[in-house]
Amino acid sequence: MAALRTVDEHEAQVAAVMRRLAVVWTSFEARLEATPLIRKLNRGRFELGDYHAFLIQLRQQVKDGALWMSRAASNVGEAHLELRSALMRHAVVEHRDFRLLEADFVASGGELALIQAGEKNIGSEALSGWMFNEASQPNPFGLLGAMFIIEGLGSIKATDWGERVRDRLGLRPEAVRFLLYHGENDSGHIQEFETMLRMVLPSDLVSRRIVRCAEVVARLYALQIEEVTA
Amino acid sequence: MSDWVAPKERVTHATRNGGANGAPVYITGTGAFLPGEPVGNDRMEDFIGRMPNGCSALGRRALRWNGIEGRHYALNPDGTWRYSNASMCAEAVRRALDAAGLCVTDLKCLSAATTQGDLLVPGHASAVHGELGAGPLEVASFQSVCASSLMAAKYAWMSVRSGEATCAAAVAGEFSSRWFRPAFYENTAHVDERGRLAMAADFLRFTLSDGAGAVVMEPQARVDGPSLRLEWIDLTSLAGQFDPCMWAGATASSRVDVDGGWARLGPAASFANGALALQQDFSLLKSVIRAWVGVYLEKVESGRIDPTAVDHLLCHYSARSLRDEIVGLLEATDAMIPQDRWFTTLAESGNVGSASIWIMLDKLVRSGRLHPGDKVLCIVPESGRAMVGFMMLEAVEQL
Repeated sequence: MAALRTVDEHEAQVAAVMRRLAVVWTSFEARLEATPLIRKLNRGRFELGDYHAFLIQLRQQVKDGALWMSRAASNVGEAHLELRSALMRHAVVEHRDFRLLEADFVASGGELALIQAGEKNIGSEALSGWMFNEASQPNPFGLLGAMFIIEGLGSIKATDWGERVRDRLGLRPEAVRFLLYHGENDSGHIQEFETMLRMVLPSDLVSRRIVRCAEVVARLYALQIEEVTA
Repeated sequence: MSDWVAPKERVTHATRNGGANGAPVYITGTGAFLPGEPVGNDRMEDFIGRMPNGCSALGRRALRWNGIEGRHYALNPDGTWRYSNASMCAEAVRRALDAAGLCVTDLKCLSAATTQGDLLVPGHASAVHGELGAGPLEVASFQSVCASSLMAAKYAWMSVRSGEATCAAAVAGEFSSRWFRPAFYENTAHVDERGRLAMAADFLRFTLSDGAGAVVMEPQARVDGPSLRLEWIDLTSLAGQFDPCMWAGATASSRVDVDGGWARLGPAASFANGALALQQDFSLLKSVIRAWVGVYLEKVESGRIDPTAVDHLLCHYSARSLRDEIVGLLEATDAMIPQDRWFTTLAESGNVGSASIWIMLDKLVRSGRLHPGDKVLCIVPESGRAMVGFMMLEAVEQL
């Protein structure tokens, strides 16, 4: 059906998907505000143990992130090689990031062995399991919705959280590099994301799946944060 | 998603566009009252006073960010008052009634809003009624921050719509400058050892000013002048998820505690620890702004708001202070209302809290820019505890 659509219709569907994703994002952000961990940060009650517990869960999710992205790339068909390239580049850029989390953990007084032996909490288990399942489907374009949520955390929340953690706990910037560094690197992600959307749209089926994946990931990610306990 | 997803639309479509559930309601008169002469940025501290270490760098930044160039104060330079909040509101109501061709005796219902009234008790509407001096009236008081204006408007709208009142006024007023005098900060935790005022308080000191605005609603349009049909008012609070973002009556660390309110420690101790001052949490504000945008996008998504059909957007948050990322998001989602349709008086009248929306509407009505059939969307964001209100109006043809 793509051939029958005009350029305007194509752009309108990209904008409509962006709008639905933005609504999912803002309700996700509001849900995060109500989690015990972020409430502690807002209310001046965030302790070093909370930061360490947060880093341990982030490590699980960041480590798996590059892996499911690689798996997703391997399931993208020949008709979408450009998207496959984008996913592979993305995975390469991020697949060592969990080492940075380990370094932050150590620089803030934690033991390396402790974060490396950390276990996924219930939310992390659910998120990871679901992501690998979705990435294993043929042409798993819905994962663009997952990327919108996870990249949004990097570009919108990470720096703000990092600054507050640093100020609240009196940490050196070297101990909060992952959070501070992500914000710097992810500016302009809306445009990049729109470019990827254009590669897989127009398609009513794909646009529904992208929004659904964003909803699932937003819920499971929030569950992961809800389950972070020092 | 499972349980709670988002502030989903609870649109009762029967109430849209003057549907079957009640009479159409028209705004037949608007009025604004701005006290004293306009005060430029260079003279603000002649009225709100000077903190011991001189002018505030943050205050200047706040002005650049807001784009406010002038405002009005109900204070005299010596700190005495020219008006009370209630007397400014009463004057705005008289002007709105006059614009509608009515007088105080026609009024059946008075719905009043403010952030902080003149007295702690009783309600603001009683004080405004007292100043108006009319006979027996139904009154309703709404206290919040900016969005209290639309709470009061919704009460007036529903009163006329249901046939309870044939003429209702919604009024909102602020006299915040009186809390910004140095005596409210000196010897409190908001001033450091070098005499500098904390950012949480200083920003609002240089942002808010005084005035009042009102509208009169009736079940029929005027025969001899412009009217606006009030189609709907939607208010969405996200307080269940967000902590207070702009507040007075507690310190930042005790603002959500069950025993955190100022009365727990008593007035003297609460004054000293800074609980009584109006404060803003800036890092939370960034999230709250995105939450407002989310509620707006949901209304676009559900069809409640069609951005292409809006001829005039009134929002007391200036387009220029919205960060590029928000404007970029609105454009990427086909939800941006072009900036040439934004109508504001923020630059010359200042940010008058709850009164701002009526001051802007009054100016729009009197500007001659409104044409029959024009859609006017009013957006009233309130950082208080993450709330946002929307009101849709349509200019109607004069008969």
